[in-house]
Amino acid sequence: MTYALVRRTTVDAAMDLDSFARATGLHPELARRLVALGLLDARRDATGRLWFPLSQVAVAGRLQRLRAGFALNYAALGLVMDLLDHIAELEAALRNQRTGV
Amino acid sequence: MADQRDFYEALGVSRTASQDEIQRAYRKLARTYHPDVNKDPEAEERFKEVSEAYQVLSDPETRRRYDAFGEDFRRVPEGVDPDTWARARAGAGAGPRGGGQWRGAGEGGAWRDVDLEDLFGDMFGGVRGRGWGPAPGADQEAELVLTVEEAYQGGRKTLVLSGGRQIDVSIPAGVTNGQRIRLAGQGGRGASGATPGDLYLIVRIADHPRYRVEGRDIHVALPIAPWEGALGATVSLDTPGGETKVRVPKGTSSGRRLRLRGQGLPNPRGTPGDLYAEVRIMVPEQLTAEEQRLFEELAATSSFDPRRSR
Repeated sequence: MTYALVRRTTVDAAMDLDSFARATGLHPELARRLVALGLLDARRDATGRLWFPLSQVAVAGRLQRLRAGFALNYAALGLVMDLLDHIAELEAALRNQRTGV
Repeated sequence: MADQRDFYEALGVSRTASQDEIQRAYRKLARTYHPDVNKDPEAEERFKEVSEAYQVLSDPETRRRYDAFGEDFRRVPEGVDPDTWARARAGAGAGPRGGGQWRGAGEGGAWRDVDLEDLFGDMFGGVRGRGWGPAPGADQEAELVLTVEEAYQGGRKTLVLSGGRQIDVSIPAGVTNGQRIRLAGQGGRGASGATPGDLYLIVRIADHPRYRVEGRDIHVALPIAPWEGALGATVSLDTPGGETKVRVPKGTSSGRRLRLRGQGLPNPRGTPGDLYAEVRIMVPEQLTAEEQRLFEELAATSSFDPRRSR
């Protein structure tokens, strides 16, 4: 069998569910559940398998810390993550404005 | 953490605080110092401190032991009378670990020395039920203040973070204001062996008495004599990259900006910025008799009126 060699870019790089579970310490079922709840981003291939972008490892870490630190439920986790991202964007914009970039 | 603060002090409550007050103080501090809310590297230490204090003081039994035995409370075996303990310590003339005689007796007890790392692991990784594993460390941010020269040349810099941690950073030539330098694995510690986060240094170029940085462009004032502006001249100018020669064209007035292409901050991935020298015509504060005569002659001869619209 011949395989075409395809250059993988980091943007496309993704992990399957098991690798993602190993990398994050999350149980695969929980990772699946967090995707279903919209807390983690993953795409589903034609066979229905989940693929996680590498950036989601850090997101999973943040979910774990926030949940442990504040005893947040799933709905609150999503809200807090969104608000923190929003604040980070605003702070960056403010910083750039101040420094004239 | 050698010098541990008193747990009540860490939470900012009195020794007689109610459980409600303790909980309220902890929740407030946790919201301030949680590593995902506060990116300052010092915040992690503070969060660890208040979490440990809360873990001890939120449980009435542990709190009672802490009140009775102070920082030794984890080493004291169950059922020991606080007064006996105090006498034993005083008798041994000892420091914090002086009560050696208790150590053997303590082996069978429930208390052992608790390692802070374990405790931190518990805080973020202890909730293992239902598939939450140890949490990786959070990313942190710190400000990196550079002079214009350092931003231009790059090089190594030793940075002391709040909290005393010291790191060597290699700065690429041509960093700009607001740029983020990522130091992989230098962020918050992960729980129970999970991967640490990254430390992001956000570059801020400090104000400089002569240079003003805008993106990659550098602005600098170029003082010249009236006759240099009128007749044109080649003058030397100090730039972050060293001394350079600037050709001032004939008929140059104050405010004219001369562009020195590519002499701004270098760009590792493209064209460098430009250096803008803004001309400022300066006159001598004191004129010699000869200068006075020549300027008067010029004033009488010239029909130039800078206030008349051209």
